[in-house]
Amino acid sequence: MSFLQPWLLVALPLALLPVIIHLINQRRYQTVRWGAMMFLLTANRMARGFARLRQYLIMAARMLAIAGLVFAVSRPLASGWLGLAAGGRPDTTIIVLDRSPSMQQKGPGGGDSKLATGVHQLAQTLATLKSAHWVLIDSTTKNPVQLDSPEALLRSASAEATSAATDLPALLEAAYEYIRANKSGRTDIWICSDLRKNDWSPQSGRWQSIRESLLSLRQGVRVNLLAYPEHAEGNLSVRVSDVRRVQNGPAADLVLSVRLAREGDDQSRASIPLRFEIDGARSEVMVEMDKTPYDLKDYRIPLESKQPRSWGKVTIPADLNPADNDFYFAFEKPVPRHAIIVVEDAQVTRSLQLAAAITPDPGVACTAEVVPAEQVANVEWEKVSLLLWQGPLPDGDAGRHVQDFIKRGGYAIFLPPRVPGDREFLGARWKSWVASASKDALIANWRGDQDLLANTQSGALLPVGQLQIHRYCRLAGDLTPLAGLQGGSPLLARSTLDHSGAYFFATTTVPADSSLATDGVVLYVLVQRAMAAGASALGTIRQFAAGEPLPNNLPDSWQRLAGPDDAVSGAYPVHCGVYLAGDRLLAINRPAEEDQAPILDDGRVADLFAGLNFIRVDHRAGHIGILIEEIWRPFLAAMMVALIVEAALCLPRYVAKAGRPT
Amino acid sequence: MFKDRRTRSFLDAAALSRLAAVPLFARRPMQGTVSGRHPSPHRGSSVEFAEYRKYVPGDDLRRLDWRAYGRSDRFYVKEFEADTNLRCCLVLDTSGSMGFGPTGATKLDYARRIAGALGYLALQQGDAVGLSCVAGGLVRNIPPKRNPAHLIALFDLLEAAKPHGETQLASVLHELAETIRQRALIVIISDLFVEPELLGSCFQHLRFRRHDVAIFHLLEAQEMEFNFRRPMRFLDMEGGTSIFADPTEIADRYHRALDGYLTELRRVVLESAVDYHRVLLDESYERVLTRFLVGRAHGRGSR
Repeated sequence: MSFLQPWLLVALPLALLPVIIHLINQRRYQTVRWGAMMFLLTANRMARGFARLRQYLIMAARMLAIAGLVFAVSRPLASGWLGLAAGGRPDTTIIVLDRSPSMQQKGPGGGDSKLATGVHQLAQTLATLKSAHWVLIDSTTKNPVQLDSPEALLRSASAEATSAATDLPALLEAAYEYIRANKSGRTDIWICSDLRKNDWSPQSGRWQSIRESLLSLRQGVRVNLLAYPEHAEGNLSVRVSDVRRVQNGPAADLVLSVRLAREGDDQSRASIPLRFEIDGARSEVMVEMDKTPYDLKDYRIPLESKQPRSWGKVTIPADLNPADNDFYFAFEKPVPRHAIIVVEDAQVTRSLQLAAAITPDPGVACTAEVVPAEQVANVEWEKVSLLLWQGPLPDGDAGRHVQDFIKRGGYAIFLPPRVPGDREFLGARWKSWVASASKDALIANWRGDQDLLANTQSGALLPVGQLQIHRYCRLAGDLTPLAGLQGGSPLLARSTLDHSGAYFFATTTVPADSSLATDGVVLYVLVQRAMAAGASALGTIRQFAAGEPLPNNLPDSWQRLAGPDDAVSGAYPVHCGVYLAGDRLLAINRPAEEDQAPILDDGRVADLFAGLNFIRVDHRAGHIGILIEEIWRPFLAAMMVALIVEAALCLPRYVAKAGRPT
Repeated sequence: MFKDRRTRSFLDAAALSRLAAVPLFARRPMQGTVSGRHPSPHRGSSVEFAEYRKYVPGDDLRRLDWRAYGRSDRFYVKEFEADTNLRCCLVLDTSGSMGFGPTGATKLDYARRIAGALGYLALQQGDAVGLSCVAGGLVRNIPPKRNPAHLIALFDLLEAAKPHGETQLASVLHELAETIRQRALIVIISDLFVEPELLGSCFQHLRFRRHDVAIFHLLEAQEMEFNFRRPMRFLDMEGGTSIFADPTEIADRYHRALDGYLTELRRVVLESAVDYHRVLLDESYERVLTRFLVGRAHGRGSR
């Protein structure tokens, strides 16, 4: 139990007043000379019985009455949040809401979601606790939103559910920035979250700086966590892992790969109906889910419409979390993949041309064109999906064109020139050629989980380790290594600039440099994956994860074609659905990490706030009991009862009519 | 009446004159030395016929009933009751507790009034009066005498009596029962703060010695009501230990103890056929004595 006016509890020792008065009264006794001592001695020898008990009861009732009054005026709160209101009313209350899809999980009996319950509870609790200012950190923009009152939280668009993941460390950083910039007084930070690991990023180094930043604030910050760590046991999520429009003679088919995942340890077999809605046509297929995750590979749905592009969604029956029961997708006729090859060494040309021109899918046309460096300005870049560049890094007009191409979403792979110069492009430059110390430099590591060297769909590793690197060119600049040689030099690196599809390969396909051409699998996969990614930028459909940074070339005005109705237009990028942005068809869904994300254990959460004034309470979705409420009435009632009992005990006993013994 | 004409604080002439209207009678025959108002166990020369007795040689021929001889041709002597005086022994409790009197007048003051009045009334009707002051033992003792000058000594002793010491009433009563000659009126004036069982044996002893026992049990209203409000330290007036008590806590038990004592005392006095009078100090002593005297007048006659 805590109190809204805890300083009034200093009056609690007043409860000892009856005892003190009693003791004073005892000391202020009168002395009387008494003759009938034999009766007093006899009375003293008698069992005191109820008389002594009555005295104690009267004393206790008086103490209880005073204590009840003191407690009542201290405005006690009924909650498990010990010390919640200690220190009185905060100057600023900052609210951090986890609005990720997992927060839409409902309780076992249905009812409100975790987010709705949390928002409701926070509104009630903060209204009780009072504050001078209320600020909500918008989880999508990270901007502070001033609230007139805690009740405004219920109406705020920034408190509604989204399909985007929540970056809790970033929100706390924003909260710290707000406190620092506004020099607010004593501040309470309220976090409402379901503790999903992907939202909290507990391994992030930012937590250390957050802790240190908050501890450095002199005004004092208290962090309150309203946690909903309940697992969605048995909850199913659906995700389309691949969608392709395949021309099948005059007709066309849609080839879908769907992944079903179930939360928890339940591995029992279940029949799950998958409902597809494509071009308004609905179909359903029953799948036998015998493991989790369950993959439905290349499920073909004949397309009735002749339209080159369209959208659809796949739905599973309602369960604990409605936010992961739909998945939207868009598709169109495959865009022809066209690669531009710019080389200074003719030995490189052939291998690159072969890798780019051989199509992996008969339905997709792949072409490769060799262009001299000085002709780069004349290339029709709008139709290019991949640029393969071997030679000095582009500069001047060529560099500008290549940069625009990459910004537009195109992909480029740069191979080192014969003579490294001092040119810099996209923050990277070639330094010097290095011959391997041993016969062949060994590849120490590469990223098999994502990007161009990712494992195959069946999970098999690319044979990157079998490549022989006879010599390589060292790289300098701000790059993200995707494969590294022994000794730490990168073999393949990606530019760290925004959405950059610029890659730097530290050797060439010349046999004297490496076995890339002879062991062509890695080169072919690398080039084809880059072409496919670049071609997707050329197409008019795009798939995005909600909250993911969007390309700059998208128009601001979007039109919703499908999706939940409760999203405002400005928040479309963080709500799942299908949107028309200019001539682009955008399918936005929740991030993949939101499906079956583990929940942080209690110790880990406590570690994140170690050293801070941190209070945590766990709650349940749909739980209607209020989190905190004033309970001064029972104390007042207890005081009145105590006074009545005291009065009853103090009533003089009935005296017989005679008044004296006869 | 008195040569020195001293005024005694415990005597009220008007009250005494009113009380003198009712004689003091003994409830049982007395063995006085001279003629008086009280029945005697022997035959005497009063006007009250007692019985006929056969004449035996040596009887006074003047007492023969000639009419009876005429009717029966036998000699009968006509006998009459004898009236005698009595010995009245006033037993005054002068223990410390008799000094109790929150309103000013103490129990001893009240006892002086009763003893003085009774002494005066008895002596007026020719009875012998003695006084025994009792505390830790027999403090002072004046044997019964019937000359008027004896009254001065008695009043002086009453006036000089001070409440002091503990009560050994029971042992003193046993002692008096043995030392006072047979058939006396013994008037005990005390607060009787003694166990009723002990008192019972004393009364039985006195009754066995054919004494007529009368008791004035003096109690103060505060002792009966015990209506204190604040914690009190009670100092024993008889020199015992003091007791600290919260009256609100102990009052119940005090009243229970008092009730038990009074009930037991009532049983004792009934069994001992003692003329018992409970007296509260707020009652007029004249009324108490009137009730006492009238009650005795009604009970007179048994010999």
